[in-house]
Amino acid sequence: VNEAGRAEARTARRLVAPAALLLGLVALYPAAAGLGMSLQRIVLVFHERRFVGLANWRELLVDDRFQAALGRTAYFTVVAVAAELALALPLALVLDRPGRGRGALRAAALLPWAIPTAVSAKLWAWLLEPGFGVVARLWPGTPVNWLGAPGPALHAAIALDVWKTTPFVALVLLAGLQSIPAEVQAAAEMDGASRPRIFFTVTLPLLRPAVLLAVLFRAIDAFRVFDAVYVLTAGGPAHGTETLSVYAYNTLVRAGDFGYGATVSAATFLCVAALGAMLVAVVGRGAEDAE
Amino acid sequence: VRIVLKYGPLWGPPAPFRDLLASFERANPGVELVAEAMPNASDLAHQLYVTALEGGAADLDVLVIDVIWTPEFARAGWIADLSEAFPPERLREEMLPGAAQAVILGGRTFAVPWYVDVGLLYWRKDLVARAPRTYDELTAFARGAMARRPGLGGFLWQGRQYEGLNCNVFEAIWGHGGETLVDGRLALDTPSARAGLRWLRELVATGLSPPSVTSAAEEDSRRRFQQGDAVFMRNWPYALAELEAPGSPVRGRVGIAPLPSVDGSPGPGALGGWQLAVSARSPPARRAAAERLVGHLSSPEAALMLALAYARNPARSALYSDPRLQAGAPRIAALLPIVQGARPRPVSPYYQLAADALQGEFSAAVTGIRTPEDALRRAQRQVDRLEGAAP
Repeated sequence: VNEAGRAEARTARRLVAPAALLLGLVALYPAAAGLGMSLQRIVLVFHERRFVGLANWRELLVDDRFQAALGRTAYFTVVAVAAELALALPLALVLDRPGRGRGALRAAALLPWAIPTAVSAKLWAWLLEPGFGVVARLWPGTPVNWLGAPGPALHAAIALDVWKTTPFVALVLLAGLQSIPAEVQAAAEMDGASRPRIFFTVTLPLLRPAVLLAVLFRAIDAFRVFDAVYVLTAGGPAHGTETLSVYAYNTLVRAGDFGYGATVSAATFLCVAALGAMLVAVVGRGAEDAE
Repeated sequence: VRIVLKYGPLWGPPAPFRDLLASFERANPGVELVAEAMPNASDLAHQLYVTALEGGAADLDVLVIDVIWTPEFARAGWIADLSEAFPPERLREEMLPGAAQAVILGGRTFAVPWYVDVGLLYWRKDLVARAPRTYDELTAFARGAMARRPGLGGFLWQGRQYEGLNCNVFEAIWGHGGETLVDGRLALDTPSARAGLRWLRELVATGLSPPSVTSAAEEDSRRRFQQGDAVFMRNWPYALAELEAPGSPVRGRVGIAPLPSVDGSPGPGALGGWQLAVSARSPPARRAAAERLVGHLSSPEAALMLALAYARNPARSALYSDPRLQAGAPRIAALLPIVQGARPRPVSPYYQLAADALQGEFSAAVTGIRTPEDALRRAQRQVDRLEGAAP
């Protein structure tokens, strides 16, 4: 039995090896190389490449542009994901309802998700344009120069993200809704529970795993946000909409400071990894609770 | 031999440029010329060049580069010293002063000006009697016109966080008598820089410029000015063709002038435009052909074609008095006094590295997030870090 078990383990290792190798090549190696770069000062233009130890990381601690970007990214993630959930839940409930035209409705709801982010960001920039934009024309009261001040510009980017990814969250929630057996709700109805009561005490708890899954996907995605912000504002004005990914890009590519840019990237990576690990733990616990 | 030219796309009909390249091949039998277009966005083109040149790419011989990259690429050793074929004295004699200054480093030629751009002032002939010469005049004229026509914007410029903002800020600093390069180092924390940036901020704070200027790039300003909604605008020469196009609401009512300054002398406009450089890795046989191509593309005939077919302003001073230019493109010919005063942004290898930090600080100042004094101190600190840390 022991011998057979060992043979089986050997086979398993052989079968897993290609996948592990591939993963190492495309995921671990670049991550490690990035960490290595974060310990160097690299300026291509001046042919500089030297080991500087933790100097870049120490700079990170006193770099207020980094700290502002970190806080801003966290804010972006929390607000965007919360708004997406709040909007996606009713949307999912509507999409779940049987009726004529449901297919067309689902397709229509998915449209913003299907448009490439760069394209929708350009579109939004036009909508928000102070002179010609539709938003400027329809906005009541004094006109707001949406992309001209950091606060409004950041919220414009959040709105764009919400508009774009609410359909995705709704889709995940819809899948969750459809996995709830109809009998459970029917039984509650039989017992005389009101509709709101059924929703809050039966549907919502059973939907929890789907909600957590959506939060996991979206939070990790939102924390790395790049294209929406970059196309809409390029991080301006006054670096006031610069998220971590945009800061890393600007440092790496625009300023050509590869060592420090890699440090910012690595810090972003560590934040996302921590966030992911935390959410996975919560989702895991949620799954156990549900069982 | 086969040589590769990398160039930024020229708007307009492709035929004249194609003919220009074909005439080079005809004049140089045995040379095969491959022309490859780069992205239109300058930052993206820079990124592609940096990765290609640092990686030792051998498939490019002649590069068309932005006016602000020459010192950086020369310092990196990526572009060849062209002093033999294009002696500095000759360039100084034939080219506009600012254009020559941007390509001659330490007495050596590293690129040849191809065509130039310059910041200038557009003004509405139907709203004010003449172009303002000083900043005070600009304020007074704009206020007067705005009082007569409520809802009118005063002065439009480019305040979005991007390289155009840097051009606007440097122009304001120069207009206040400031130098931005002292002993080869960027100098920003100076009295005239503070005065210049404060002036731009006050334009926004006092309502002389509409709040939207802090998110405006060239086209945003041009569209608004074209609608007839403003008295003055700072922009590049390209806008004139649009403003004078049939159907434009301001057609026939627009004048151009040098930018104002604090003392009434013509304010220098920022020099933009593109240069022809040769890759340092180009082997001797190709190098010779590449230098001939640079000569061909920067010849007076080619410059005339670029002006007539693509409305690009010649870098050669003499061309502005050429009857063919005066007849075919009188608007360009009329730019001579303004292009002569054009000044390059600080000619420093660190400029491109520092530009991103400058854009952010300048943007903070014009939007009122930080005081101009604070923004300049912070900008100077970041620039010092970049300059000090490199050998």
